[in-house]
Amino acid sequence: MTADPTIFVVDDDEGVRRALTSAGGLLGHPVRGFPSAHEFLNAYQPSQPGCLVLDIKMPGMTGLELQRKLADDGVNIPIVMISGHADVRIAVEAMTLGAVTLLEKPFRLEELLAHVRKAVDKDRADREVQNKSASVAARLNALTPKEREVLDMIAAGKTNRAMADELSLSVRAVEDRRARLMKKVGAHSVAELVRLLGPL
Amino acid sequence: MIRRLLFTYPATISLGLVALVFVVDLCLPLGVASAVPYTFAVLLALSARPWWFGPAVAALCGVLTFLKMGLVPERGTTEMWKVIVNRCLALFSITMTTLLGLLRRKAAAERARAEEQVRVHQADLAHVGRLTLLGQLAAGLAHELNQPLAAVCLQADIAARQAEPGAPVQPELKGILAEIADQSSRAAEIVRSIRRMARRAEPVTDPIDVNEVARSVAGLLDWHAGRSNVTLRLDLGEAAGPIYGDRIQVEQVLFNLVQNAIESIAERGSGPRTVTVSTSTGPDGATVTVRDTGTGLTDPDRVFERFYTTKPNGMGMGLAISKSIIEAHGGHMRAIDTVDGAEFWFTLPVARKEGS
Repeated sequence: MTADPTIFVVDDDEGVRRALTSAGGLLGHPVRGFPSAHEFLNAYQPSQPGCLVLDIKMPGMTGLELQRKLADDGVNIPIVMISGHADVRIAVEAMTLGAVTLLEKPFRLEELLAHVRKAVDKDRADREVQNKSASVAARLNALTPKEREVLDMIAAGKTNRAMADELSLSVRAVEDRRARLMKKVGAHSVAELVRLLGPL
Repeated sequence: MIRRLLFTYPATISLGLVALVFVVDLCLPLGVASAVPYTFAVLLALSARPWWFGPAVAALCGVLTFLKMGLVPERGTTEMWKVIVNRCLALFSITMTTLLGLLRRKAAAERARAEEQVRVHQADLAHVGRLTLLGQLAAGLAHELNQPLAAVCLQADIAARQAEPGAPVQPELKGILAEIADQSSRAAEIVRSIRRMARRAEPVTDPIDVNEVARSVAGLLDWHAGRSNVTLRLDLGEAAGPIYGDRIQVEQVLFNLVQNAIESIAERGSGPRTVTVSTSTGPDGATVTVRDTGTGLTDPDRVFERFYTTKPNGMGMGLAISKSIIEAHGGHMRAIDTVDGAEFWFTLPVARKEGS
């Protein structure tokens, strides 16, 4: 696994695949071409960042079937779909399943590169959000039940005094607990704390 | 040998015969019916071109028949009236031979015209069949054509980037340009095969190689097969002997059979999915077999009937046209229901030795 985003190209047509891989290479990322969906699935690791350039019509597993399988497996690698001829029904299905775009053959290089770049950026952003929320979740799990109780009250907008009354503690004890949990979660202010909790 | 000579030079030989009969006739006394053999010369002259050559030779023979009477008046003991009757009988047989010959010639010309018409009709029908096939394949062919175009478009853009003024010339540029040329000729080959199928051509008789026909049909239908998850296998025998026929029409027959085979397998959910096209050559000609692992035939005897179809959108013309094409080539076509699908085969005889 490399951190460098890889462009995966899946197209059964050798000529088109060669053209797509050389085009992808222009973006400076590693490019890997596969003649079929199965060969791609055998080689692909979901932890590998990047994007997928996928032909819709292929013998064996079609592009749409591969897209659906990836979605079912919870893999959300951004997909640039390409198709021999645009069929509205297929286009709608591909976009509904979350393709970045659908390009109709033949298309120009700039068009392809722009969409691939967008797809790589999207993957990077998706992974960042995912990493962040994963780390926040881990930090919240490290809280004791009592700290967690205080955290929920802070999120509900209660003052230290109100909390002290409710928990039958001294204001001082509440302040201590609050400082500890802020440190554990890594937030410097209440505003930051609430923002971190936001996506959860 | 003599027969061949007579057919090749009828005009010359008939004139030679006229001269020979005339000389012999001159040497014999008037009483002998030596003018009758002129009829053989006339018979021969009637098979020559142009059509008036026969009657002209007949007229010449008539004149010579009576000319003899003036040149050699010696008649021995034969009475004059017998000599005249004798000469008139010769003239009568020459005239009758000419008339009958002309009638036969006319009948033969009419028959040839009728046969030609049948051939043209059959070719028209075959053409309609091909257009229908092409229509059904239009989407696939468009896709097929878009592949090389997509490759060319991208590679050309990549090359253009490398050819920016000021940019160092990359060593890959040459390879990219070669790829563009390759993909362009691939597109051109597809266009050529479409045009060949769509052409409304006069039926022609050329030497054909059934293996080549099988390969080109497989090329056209490869994509179609792939889309239905069907493997198209070629099992080609030794190149066939001199088989003559209309390549486009034979291609059309095989195309039809393979397409039906693919569709039949597509209808079937599971099981093996293979279409095998095999060719073999024997002393009598070539045999081409298309075997599939599809749904099989419910009524193998009826498949070649016109308007008989088991497809929801079928017209029931494809196999009827195919059979008529093969029969016009002097071959046979059969269908069999096998254990795991269907088998169609047709034969094409080796060229018959004909004078024409």
